[in-house]
Amino acid sequence: MTFKALLIATTACLGGQAMAQTLTIWDWKSGDPVAASYFDAVREAFAAAHPGVTLNFVNQPIDQYYTLLGTALASGQGPDVFLLNGGAQARARMDALTDLTPQAEGLVGLTEFQDADGAVRALPISIQGFVVYYNKDRYSEAGLDPEAPPQTWAELASACEAINAAGAVPCFALGNKEGYGAEFFLSSVGASMLSEQAQQQFATGDLTWSSPEIAAILQAWVDTQGMGWYQPGANSTAKFMDEYEMFMRGDAANTIGLLSDVAHWKQFEDFLGAESIGAFRHPAPEMIADHAMIPVAGGIGYGVNAAGGNVDLATALVETLASAGPIQVFVNDAGVVPANTAVDTSGLASPTAGTILGWLDSSGVTMAHANVTAEELAEWHRQSQLLLNGETTVEAAAARMDDVQKAAHGG
Amino acid sequence: MTTTAQPQRRRRRTGSRAERRFALLFLLPAVALVLTFRIVPLLWGFGLSLTDATGLQQGQFIGLGNYAEMAGDPNFRAAMRNTVILLLTLPVWVLLPMILASLIHLGVPGGRLYRSVYFFPAVLSSVIVGSIFNVVLRYDGALNALLGFAGLPAIDWLGSGSTALLSLLTVQLWATFGMSLLIFLAGLSTLSSEMIEAARLDGARLWQVWGYVILPAMRPIIEFVAVVTTIGVLTNMFGLIYVLTAGGPGTATTLPEFLIWLEQGQMGRPGYAAALSMVLFALMAGIAWIQIRIMSRNAGL
Repeated sequence: MTFKALLIATTACLGGQAMAQTLTIWDWKSGDPVAASYFDAVREAFAAAHPGVTLNFVNQPIDQYYTLLGTALASGQGPDVFLLNGGAQARARMDALTDLTPQAEGLVGLTEFQDADGAVRALPISIQGFVVYYNKDRYSEAGLDPEAPPQTWAELASACEAINAAGAVPCFALGNKEGYGAEFFLSSVGASMLSEQAQQQFATGDLTWSSPEIAAILQAWVDTQGMGWYQPGANSTAKFMDEYEMFMRGDAANTIGLLSDVAHWKQFEDFLGAESIGAFRHPAPEMIADHAMIPVAGGIGYGVNAAGGNVDLATALVETLASAGPIQVFVNDAGVVPANTAVDTSGLASPTAGTILGWLDSSGVTMAHANVTAEELAEWHRQSQLLLNGETTVEAAAARMDDVQKAAHGG
Repeated sequence: MTTTAQPQRRRRRTGSRAERRFALLFLLPAVALVLTFRIVPLLWGFGLSLTDATGLQQGQFIGLGNYAEMAGDPNFRAAMRNTVILLLTLPVWVLLPMILASLIHLGVPGGRLYRSVYFFPAVLSSVIVGSIFNVVLRYDGALNALLGFAGLPAIDWLGSGSTALLSLLTVQLWATFGMSLLIFLAGLSTLSSEMIEAARLDGARLWQVWGYVILPAMRPIIEFVAVVTTIGVLTNMFGLIYVLTAGGPGTATTLPEFLIWLEQGQMGRPGYAAALSMVLFALMAGIAWIQIRIMSRNAGL
């Protein structure tokens, strides 16, 4: 009996120890070849401080990530550390995350990862945002000055007219199969049309979709389709990556792209050459400032599962993931815009990157779609497709969005 | 021990009880499996459908709140409308494989080749089928290129509300009718060839053989295929929807199972998703019940 008890106790101890020495991390980045050097730097830095700990990075498919994560968390089988998009996706899972406020010093883009009390629940590694990337060759072919991209709505409209008249390619590549194209449009145009107060009210549900401010964005969405900015079949084109592949093939003059991770200046420059790519801030019909703004948000960040087996070790890992050393590697190799202010971005040679970094201080505003509820986003996906097809009106779509908004805010 | 001490008469009765117990022992594995993997999850799901559970919290009991919400949910209504459209196409799902199977059975040249070719898509997973047809049906895809050659305007098969659902159903039909065809061929092989031969000797034409000999004899098979197909299209189209249209444009291709996945995974509302599942379950049970009733009524003919 004693021997048996000893055996059980030993097994339990060994088992417990083995569990403690492995951290499981879920994300959709660790399998990305351009991020490989960043993860190598993380492993190296973490192994130096915590020898003997195995890091098990599990690269999940992005399009099913939150479904898988939700199921795993609900059944208590969640990973120790997981990656999140800032905004609605992070907010929907804050109950599952530990408070990382003490570790967040020196980081920017935290708003999208803060809960209602201001506690930081995940540490952002990059800044995310949208700008319009344009193909300078297509601009030249249409008789436009490739070094003077549109600054106002009227200029953009006439540029699109010229590009359409040239007849070779559509003005914008648009992928709205999953509704992401409409998400990006809402935030890009909203950035220049909504005051910070309006953005706040929109996020809390006090500014409705049928309000003049938001309805004007919906109308702009319909108008751009009416002006023939997009290629036909946008509703059956996937944004990731059909839309961007179209742009990278040179089959469209403009696309609303990202600042970090994918579909950003570095990826476009690698395909089309740095000299062919430029960026501008998406103008809007009625801009509140004298220039267009760009929607900016804490891009993606790692959080610690509060129900995980080893919270302290996991917290140390998240700190390493967001620390200046590995992030510097990430910036240099993958071209992300870092959330860590200690990282030196002066080494980025790309003129487009320089232009974008210059806008972050002067033109960065709230990313509207990242702050609305998941229910509103899902319905906006649907309504945007119907609007694009002409199967509903702005009034009807806004009324439906109002219902969803009200229900989502507990009305 | 005690039973052996009992008188003969008592013992015989206990013996039969022991037999019954023994029988129960044999039933136990099957009953346990059914209970554990069928009945308990069903009841658990029903219980979940009465709560406002989210992915992270247990949720409160809210009675029929989810079912009441469903009644006012335009997305649910759209999914039901799409289900009705789908059920209306059922005759095609049954007739097409039946006609083709009859022709193969009657011995058209190259019948064996047709049989293999028709069955071939049935072994492909829906994701692969979806990827293939994504290439064919996308706006700059093969079908529109073909239309272009013929001088016809291109159509956004998957992105326009009027064609998306029908495109999806056609792809599903293409992918699955081979299985129904095989079932029909199996049924036809039980048909006595003398009957067909006799009909032919009596001067019956092809359509007369089909209408007066084959069709009546095939009735049970037709009903079986109808039941299996209905259940199949209502529960197995997720992969295709996911790859081809993501439920859009709007709600044009949102079927109940896709909506369940959306509410469970994307919206993090297992309670509401469970309520939707219960409705889908009741719907399927109802359809199956009606079809089995028709079947047993016809069995008496």
